[in-house]
Amino acid sequence: MGKQTIIPFGPQHPVLPEPIHLDLVVEDETVIEAVPQIGFIHRGLERLVQTKDYNQFVYVAERICGICAFGHSMGYAETVENLMGVEVPTRAQYLRVIWHEMSRVHSHTLWLGLAADAFGFESLFMHAWRLREKILDVFERTTGGRVIFSVVKVGGVTRDLDDQQIDYMKSVFADFRAEYTKLIRAFLDDSSVKNRTVGVGTISRADAVNLGMVGPFLRASGEPYDVRMLGSNGYGELEHFEPITDDQGDCYARIRVRCEEVLQALDIIDEMLAKLPAGDIAVKVKGAPKAGSEACNLVEQPRGECYYYAKGNGTKYLDRMRMRTPTSQNLAGMAATLKGCDVADVNMIVLTIDPCISCTER
Amino acid sequence: MSFATKSPWVIHYDASSCNGCDIEVLAALCPGFDLERFGIVNTGNPKHADIFLVTGSVNERNQHVVKQIYDQMVEPKVVVACGICACSGGIFHDCYNILGGVDKVIPVDVYVPGCAVRPEALIDGVVQALDILDQRAKALEAKRKGA
Amino acid sequence: MGFFKLGSMTMGSLFKEPSTLRYPFETKEPPAGLKGRIVNDKDSCILCGACMRACTTGAIAVDRKGRTWSINPYRCVQCGYCITVCPKKCLSMNPHYSEAAREKKIRIVNVPEHPKPARAKADAAKGVDAGAKAGEEAAAAKAGQKATAVKDAEGAETNGAAGKDAAEN
Repeated sequence: MGKQTIIPFGPQHPVLPEPIHLDLVVEDETVIEAVPQIGFIHRGLERLVQTKDYNQFVYVAERICGICAFGHSMGYAETVENLMGVEVPTRAQYLRVIWHEMSRVHSHTLWLGLAADAFGFESLFMHAWRLREKILDVFERTTGGRVIFSVVKVGGVTRDLDDQQIDYMKSVFADFRAEYTKLIRAFLDDSSVKNRTVGVGTISRADAVNLGMVGPFLRASGEPYDVRMLGSNGYGELEHFEPITDDQGDCYARIRVRCEEVLQALDIIDEMLAKLPAGDIAVKVKGAPKAGSEACNLVEQPRGECYYYAKGNGTKYLDRMRMRTPTSQNLAGMAATLKGCDVADVNMIVLTIDPCISCTER
Repeated sequence: MSFATKSPWVIHYDASSCNGCDIEVLAALCPGFDLERFGIVNTGNPKHADIFLVTGSVNERNQHVVKQIYDQMVEPKVVVACGICACSGGIFHDCYNILGGVDKVIPVDVYVPGCAVRPEALIDGVVQALDILDQRAKALEAKRKGA
Repeated sequence: MGFFKLGSMTMGSLFKEPSTLRYPFETKEPPAGLKGRIVNDKDSCILCGACMRACTTGAIAVDRKGRTWSINPYRCVQCGYCITVCPKKCLSMNPHYSEAAREKKIRIVNVPEHPKPARAKADAAKGVDAGAKAGEEAAAAKAGQKATAVKDAEGAETNGAAGKDAAEN
């Protein structure tokens, strides 16, 4: 039996875009256990509801995470609309779905680049981020920002899409789809990628459900759960929605599920753009939430299911706002997959889980 | 131009940021804006780096990490604070465990505003940082010759 | 090992025009509506202070006695909320971003008295660090108390988007 040593990983590491500290208990190049320590990004922003009113808090909710920014602002706005009983116009719901699916395409393309970089496949990293610039150009033209958009408000959205912008979006997405398909085929059909990922970091379906995992991490183990199939708000207008699953539960399955979700998201955007209804883009919201009222909401963000809870107390300041983000559910699964792997595989497994530590710690 | 400014290497650290500015820093190194044409390489070792790009309003736990990375870097070095959170704390400046900007922990040379910071503004900031690096390298050389 | 899978894409990159924007030798025209910096039209501003109370980060400071409106570009997050609450619609978003600098200077706009046919020249960038910052901290403290009062007055505000009418409330 070999000696056990502890290797500290993070918070500053070239492959980690965010600070997290993992203590890897290692015995002769095999990881026995991984003990995470978080707390480097905690800002305590849920407490800011006491000093910023419910209109101003949208801008704080957006800045929880730069990659999931649109998902958080949309989830927060929908929760407060449920709390106050506000009915959002249909056109605004369609626009929110379109921007959210674009956000998903952007997040998965960014993730593909980072995963390839962790692999050592630097040219794919550069190609993926070059393609990502096309999506960011569309965001710039339609919302005014590249990463943080500020287009959602309680009651609707603040900007509209005109016909010229819609034609531009359609042409960009057609080009994007063609190049993206080539890219994922190069990644998924490569034999060295398969050698490194098939059978590594496996989690069975029963374990995944017991540990409470969400998102593509869960769907790659065979459980078909996706909040979009419940059909709430704008997603209820889709004709048909089927979550993408895989039954192997290893790293290769997770990579494949994410790559195919991008193509599904592009289909959703095409469908929504084709049947965008005319109408207003916002309603005026007056007053404050009633004392003692409560509301909750579920949104399928790129990393999984996110749960929001809000409580009102009669003033313009909310009493409590709680966001349970997907990565905080996946941390237990992450510690379970890291058991028994090689030290050199650690960063690759952590990246296939797609952690967003700033969402977890808020 | 001294040797250091011909191909400065950067080290990037996220000190309690939302990741928006970090992905823009990485985007500046990718084919869209390509800082690598100036010879800039992203490294993970503080002793290899000349420019320290910090993002994020620093929280209580992270201040020690930022200070340690800064202390480990070798002279001459420059610090660039990217994004509003790093300049002044941003929208989180009144949170209970946020110090309010990187300049509360280490001395900052260039401030680049923006939420999230635009890669063009970041390139402007890095070019200004290169001037400062050049001056410091010359001053260090003069001191070494004189002493 | 397979053959060169990214071959067609790499060959294409050799012969097509590069996708890099060679900044600072080339610049891209910013699209309309891009979030850059907030500017104030000094001829319509009445120094009411609604923007100062609405600002999510406390970046705007309004001094009625000195007749200045100032914004700290190192604190503004370009959210655009001040633009929606301004009653005179004098605030707007200029697409050009705020520049990088070595010190944190605050941008001050001198608002002349109204109405006056011959206007004084307005200077756009003066550096006054300590004084204006102290004024803005005091303003941020006041913003917490005055927020509820202003939100009721906002009932008369004109929202930029076409909102539904008073039938809603």
